[in-house]
Amino acid sequence: MKIPRFPIHCAATALLMAVGSLAAPCLAQEANAGNLNSFAKTKEVLGLEGLKHNVTGTLAAENGSLMFTTRKKEVTVPAASITEVLTGEDTQRTIGGTIGFLSMFAPYGSGRFLSLFRTKIDTLAIEYVDTSGGIHGAIFTLKKGDAPGAKKALLRQGARTSVPVEVGAKTQAQATPKEKQQ
Amino acid sequence: MKCVNRWNSLLPLALMFSLTGSVASARDNTKPKIHASSIQILMVQSDEVKLPIDFQLALYENLIQQIQKTHTFQHVYRDGDTAASSAPDLVILHSNVYGFKKGSEEKRQVTTVTGATQIKVHCLFTDKAGKTELAQDVTGNVRFLGGNLRATFDFAKKVARVTEANFQ
Repeated sequence: MKIPRFPIHCAATALLMAVGSLAAPCLAQEANAGNLNSFAKTKEVLGLEGLKHNVTGTLAAENGSLMFTTRKKEVTVPAASITEVLTGEDTQRTIGGTIGFLSMFAPYGSGRFLSLFRTKIDTLAIEYVDTSGGIHGAIFTLKKGDAPGAKKALLRQGARTSVPVEVGAKTQAQATPKEKQQ
Repeated sequence: MKCVNRWNSLLPLALMFSLTGSVASARDNTKPKIHASSIQILMVQSDEVKLPIDFQLALYENLIQQIQKTHTFQHVYRDGDTAASSAPDLVILHSNVYGFKKGSEEKRQVTTVTGATQIKVHCLFTDKAGKTELAQDVTGNVRFLGGNLRATFDFAKKVARVTEANFQ
């Protein structure tokens, strides 16, 4: 008796695809875990001295500084001079909390949250001071899920923030069950 | 005939209005420019509006870049720059966001007519002592295509034009 091969091939392909899709996130996690201080495919939207706007490169937090490397240039900002590191989530939390809700009724649409970017990407905003005391601001967009890691890496190097990572994680954990209830 | 008479009586009035208008515009054109060799741009504030930090930083950075491009001032100092205190004819720019209209990039892409984002900023130019030299409301828009970042760029370009028109 001849066994039809086509259904077996189909089943085998489907099984391989399923295993592959399950394995992909694990592999990505391993890749991220291997290099916690470096974030490839980061876009510098604006603000880094000596770089044009919208340049893609690698953001790294090493040797006590932030390093942004493109194909042609490398810009270094000492982590100690970074006075503020905020992710897009931090900003949404601080603005979209109770104050944000109450101010929703304020005139000129001042209560609603106006975001600079789409929500499908992660953003990281830093404020740093140059040698003469001048304030600079730089904005980066990263792959979804990379911003908290980049923030932690910068904080480890000596950067400062007004929204500590632990506090941010706690408020997120508290907010999650409420969201689930709704 | 009556109609012609009416026109005759209105003609001097129209002439008078057009003349006064042109005189007024000529006065505006001859308005003396404020002398300032350097400017210090302070971080954009948003007392009335809850604005994300990335938006504030984008407004601030674009403002510095666009004002530098005009070459109206010999030096453009950042907020906190200690060298600014020794600059002779320093003008300080205070910007305060007082309102915005939230648009939608999706709507802009689809319709190109609706979904405009507007950001309203009160700009105040003072001297070192805090005396107001110039005050103006500037609106940054993004109407057709692009993200909200374009509104910050538009605002900065408009402020740069204001400085070009009013300072030397």
